[in-house]
Amino acid sequence: MLADYLMASVVAVIAGLDRTAAFQFMLSRPIVAAPLTGLLLGSPLTGLQVGALIELLYLGRLPIGAAIPPDDTQVAVGASAIAVSTGGALGLAGFPFAILATLIALPLGKVGQLFDRAARVWNARLLAQAEADINAGRLETFEKLHLRGMVHFSLCSLGTYAVIVVLGSLLLHGVAPLLIEEVADAAGWLTLAFVVLGGAAILGTINVSRSMTLFAASFATAFLMLWLL
Amino acid sequence: MKEGRLSRRVLGQVVWRSFFLQASWNFERLQSLGMLYAIAPALRVLHQGEDLVAACRRHLEYFNTHPFMASPVLGTVLFLEEQSDDPDYAEITEFRRMVMAPYAAMGDALFWGGLRPVAAGVSLFFAARGSLWAPVIFLLFFNIPHLWLRISGLFRGYVQGLKVVELIQRRRLPDAAIRLKEGMIVLLGGLCAYMTFLTLRGEDVATGLGFLVVPLVLLGGRLIANGFSTLLLILTASALITWVIWIF
Repeated sequence: MLADYLMASVVAVIAGLDRTAAFQFMLSRPIVAAPLTGLLLGSPLTGLQVGALIELLYLGRLPIGAAIPPDDTQVAVGASAIAVSTGGALGLAGFPFAILATLIALPLGKVGQLFDRAARVWNARLLAQAEADINAGRLETFEKLHLRGMVHFSLCSLGTYAVIVVLGSLLLHGVAPLLIEEVADAAGWLTLAFVVLGGAAILGTINVSRSMTLFAASFATAFLMLWLL
Repeated sequence: MKEGRLSRRVLGQVVWRSFFLQASWNFERLQSLGMLYAIAPALRVLHQGEDLVAACRRHLEYFNTHPFMASPVLGTVLFLEEQSDDPDYAEITEFRRMVMAPYAAMGDALFWGGLRPVAAGVSLFFAARGSLWAPVIFLLFFNIPHLWLRISGLFRGYVQGLKVVELIQRRRLPDAAIRLKEGMIVLLGGLCAYMTFLTLRGEDVATGLGFLVVPLVLLGGRLIANGFSTLLLILTASALITWVIWIF
């Protein structure tokens, strides 16, 4: 189990860097990071299920300016890791267990905002040092100082991932045997709750005129076609 | 491409470094050190000695824009560094200050508010069918325009200088962002309908009840617009659903 978590931590760091510090190819999005974690741990489908649920919920969350959103990247990586690894240890697997792992990891992702803030505060020291060096005519250090910021972002990603994995697997060990049957019975409705609230989150935040009308019209058209055909 | 003092190799280095623009993002001056890091190879070609120190100080000023829209800014800044007759390079500082906020707003609306949710919406259709192509579709859909803007933006900025501002205006990116957002809502309606249909069929419930999802989404949208937390809502809804299933 420890080996699984260590392997997944590689994805946690790479996706964590992609989130802000480097590239931004969107490897950090749950729909990518979670299946990647699942693939590494031998169950890409579990990762895809976890990633799709989290992506649905945070589809409309925008990283604008200095605002720090909850760390959906580490929630996706951590939830996939505990779903595959703890699921294997408990002899529980499948979609219901993936939902339970996701629901446990989601609130733990709030801690990511604290770590992210800490990384950005540490980075201010790098800027101060770079400025002092440049003023003193030392031009060979500022590039290294800038790149050192990635170490801070990596540590913050690892911190969030560790909290999610440690607390998440402990909680899952306690809760899963009690709740898994109910969650299995409710799996379809729980998925629908993610769909409804994901859609609601977008409609509640998007700045487009007639968004409710557009949504209702496209839902009704698509649903009628699926029903009638 | 015009013959400037910066070779394609140096410009290529700037493009590569622009991918690390936010590596030292901080609350004090946001992307300022990243801006300097990205253009440092070009500054070393254009300036030496005290001039280089002054150029580095100039680019440590506050800077923040959308990371993808930074490329045309970087290119134009290099054009101005090379062409400016002003000994204080005031034009460069003025240009940076003038464009960073509007470009940030355009980039946020186009990429974060439009392209990313559309790409995710398309890939979620594949995910709903259990297809592992979902992440690949998402990455391709998002990154082709992203990389095109980042790479061509820098070269165009360097070649065209301040005219790149007009070029971006002509592209009408804010309009494109609105169209993408409208498309995203239509896609979201279709995705919700598809997943509702799959759930009701799986649970063996009368399909017509699926239309109740529309008022539920609209109600949820109102709650979230009024400050309710999405996280709290999903946890509450999940607890309620599980409890009801357990009771019945």
